[in-house]
Amino acid sequence: MATTDKEVKELIKREYEHGFVTEIESDTFEPGLNEDVIRRLSEIKQEPEFMLEWRLKAYRRWLEMDEPEWAHVDFPKVDYDAISYYSAPKKKEDMPQSLDDVDPELLRTYEKLGIPLHERAKLAGVAVDAVFDSVSVATTFKEPLEKAGVIFCPISEAVQKYPELVKKYLGSVVPAGDNYFAALNSAVFSDGSFVYIPKGVRCPMELSTYFRINAANTGQFERTLIIAEEGSYVSYLEGCTAPMRDENQLHAAVVELVALDDAQIKYSTVQNWYPGDENGKGGIYNFVTKRGACIGKNSKISWTQVETGSAITWKYPSCVLRGENSVGEFYSVALTHNYQQADTGTKMIHLGKNTRSTIISKGISAGRSSNAYRGLVKFGPGAEGARNFTQCDSLLIGDRCGAHTFPYIESKNKSAIVEHEATTSKVSDEQMFLCRQRGIDPEQAVSMIVNGFCKEVFKELPMEFAVEAGKLLEVSLEGSVG
Amino acid sequence: MKSVPMLSGAFLQPAGQSLPDPLLAVRNERAAALADMPMPTRKTENWKYSSKYLKLTEDMAATLPATEKASSLDVPGYRIVLNNGAINRADSQYPDQGGITVQHFSDLDADDASSLAQKLGSTLDAEQTQFAQINSARFEDGLLIRLAANTVLDKPLFILHETAATQNGSAFPRIFVEAGTNSEMTLVEAYVSEGDSAALVDTVTEFQLADGANITSIRLTMEGETVQHIGATGVLQQRNSRFESHCVGFGGPLRRHDLQVRLEGEGAETKLNGVVVTQGKQHYDNHTSIDHVAAHCNSEETYRNIAADQSHAVFNGRIHIHQDAQKSNADMNNKNLLLSNGAEIDTKPELEIYADDVKCAHGATIGQLDETSVFYLVSRGIGRRQANVLLTMAFINELVEQIPVEAVRDTAQARLNDFFDQTFQEA
Repeated sequence: MATTDKEVKELIKREYEHGFVTEIESDTFEPGLNEDVIRRLSEIKQEPEFMLEWRLKAYRRWLEMDEPEWAHVDFPKVDYDAISYYSAPKKKEDMPQSLDDVDPELLRTYEKLGIPLHERAKLAGVAVDAVFDSVSVATTFKEPLEKAGVIFCPISEAVQKYPELVKKYLGSVVPAGDNYFAALNSAVFSDGSFVYIPKGVRCPMELSTYFRINAANTGQFERTLIIAEEGSYVSYLEGCTAPMRDENQLHAAVVELVALDDAQIKYSTVQNWYPGDENGKGGIYNFVTKRGACIGKNSKISWTQVETGSAITWKYPSCVLRGENSVGEFYSVALTHNYQQADTGTKMIHLGKNTRSTIISKGISAGRSSNAYRGLVKFGPGAEGARNFTQCDSLLIGDRCGAHTFPYIESKNKSAIVEHEATTSKVSDEQMFLCRQRGIDPEQAVSMIVNGFCKEVFKELPMEFAVEAGKLLEVSLEGSVG
Repeated sequence: MKSVPMLSGAFLQPAGQSLPDPLLAVRNERAAALADMPMPTRKTENWKYSSKYLKLTEDMAATLPATEKASSLDVPGYRIVLNNGAINRADSQYPDQGGITVQHFSDLDADDASSLAQKLGSTLDAEQTQFAQINSARFEDGLLIRLAANTVLDKPLFILHETAATQNGSAFPRIFVEAGTNSEMTLVEAYVSEGDSAALVDTVTEFQLADGANITSIRLTMEGETVQHIGATGVLQQRNSRFESHCVGFGGPLRRHDLQVRLEGEGAETKLNGVVVTQGKQHYDNHTSIDHVAAHCNSEETYRNIAADQSHAVFNGRIHIHQDAQKSNADMNNKNLLLSNGAEIDTKPELEIYADDVKCAHGATIGQLDETSVFYLVSRGIGRRQANVLLTMAFINELVEQIPVEAVRDTAQARLNDFFDQTFQEA
């Protein structure tokens, strides 16, 4: 195995591809958080009074809360006063109206990330609402969406243009005081996406946002709100990359989905933020609250995630199944390497009759990483005939990593049926032998086996994402076998 | 921040001082360490689902007096009777076979007592077993059972825990078993009670298995409706030893059993079976944890819960594979039957794995009786009630049948029949 050892070492040395810093002047707040910072933030964003009130209320709640410690992760305490809570590219006065107006430096950044914004947008028929640090700089394909009646805009714009929608739904799924990080986000959220699909409309294209954390020491607090009215359908993609930084950066996002009668929301994420180097230095802290509410009858919310990045992931995309016959789905691949730590999973709260949920979770740990699935399946007394199937499989690569499963199952209805299965295995010598014997090198063999292990989840991803996810996994796994 | 209620100091006041000095020292040390113990709340992870059932009042803190009352149970084997945690010599029938010694903590000489003081509590994870710590601060006496190497006990040893809840109070039984190399024994613990005052039974049983030892432990919990029972069993296993546990529990106002097994020697094997039945407003909580510390160990765990009426059954199983425990096999299975819409079942089968060459799996299900199975039986002329009884019994029979002592099986079956009578009414 001498050759592979060498290969491995070379591969390990490979640096994070997306690690570069765009040199643009930023208009950044002094680090620290207090009510004045929130007032200034709200003022810059020209928010109506109710938003400021809402933020301040959340901030006061946050002050009373304690940082959660139950997750299976270990990290030095975050100093919330060392973070700057606002960072926007300058030239606010003349915000770009079209792609040509966008700062070429910014566009080149996306280029390096592999998102040729205009090309990709046109060819793939994807409207990208790219969040660059805190202000959305360019939004494409707005017009065809507008024709269909779909609202897809930065949430800061929605606050001004559609205050009644924002007022009605913001915080309705994830209340401001839901948890420590959600409260923080509610107080200081900078920007994010707002999607509204009117009654009976099938969104004509897949909506997509790329988030990127750019300036050093700025927390990114996006807030996404998606509302699918009766009988509508939307598929939303979210992809994330961040430049290489030595200090850990905090990312505390909140995503809220609301599905009314017969509506369907499909939310896909590919997250490959900087995971830190091979010594566990640097990397993003990804503390995210994602929750969808199936309020209406026959509604459906489906989460698909591929998580390969971040030093620490703390994320539980959940579904509250309130409407009769509503459906929740969670498909996840979480890969950790080096010193990455992931504590991720889902919550399926069954409240309505005949609600159904499926959970497929695949955890892959390599190096010295730790990968935990934490899930809750809960049946309320009214969840007559509800059904859940859960499968969480772990794959271990190397003998210094950890794979954990913490499923909580609670049932208060006798007619509800839940099945939970979990297995743990490694890439077996037999599988490797079979591949090697057929002339496949070990690196490729592992990648093949892992891809097979994740197949059930990848098939849920939109096409272009599935390709990217497969590639990402390959890159992330490099250097993990020998 | 809301203030958390603390454990009343009264619960840390032992009544007698009749133990040898090293054991008194253990007691004092634990009592001091617990001086500011917060009571478990819903936020305490290992008491999440059960803290609301824990109702300790100041007047329950005193140790219940030793009654010296003879046991009503007739058992086919050696027997030791504990009344409210105190050993009833007159009613006990100690093993007369060579190679086994049964001693009371209060009778130990200085050497034995200090050697026991070293080991006492070492099989349990102190952080997870708060009430075992209270027992350590409170036990008035205890049983030290030692099996010499190669001793095979010819009959099961029964320990009958009789609680007389004729007044409010607590009992703190304590048992420590040392099984020598290649020794074998079956130990049965039965918990019963009489009287209807509020009582707490806080009990701890510890096993240390030397190389090749083979211990079967059977535990039958069936105290009355006013007795809160919190038990902990700790097991340390050395090379090629085998531990088998059969727990049958009937619900109560609060029932809790923590079973912790550490596989410290290669080739050790453990098998944990459990059956829980709750009805009315009863509660039962089983917490098990298996630590695979050494390589090449096997563990197999099967727990079944049945909850009827407005009762609440909880299962929490944890398998922890340590970094050097390569080639471990661990299998955990928890199935639950909900018989009523008012009942609740919570289960949490956890895996924590730090080694890559292992085979681990767990499965958990919650559901009701399968309608098609009921239909099948009914369509063949079996009454609906009988069909329900048959299917419910079938759900746990596999585990009841495995209990190796017939007398225990019969007792359990009789109680199960009562349960069926009360739960399934004639249509």
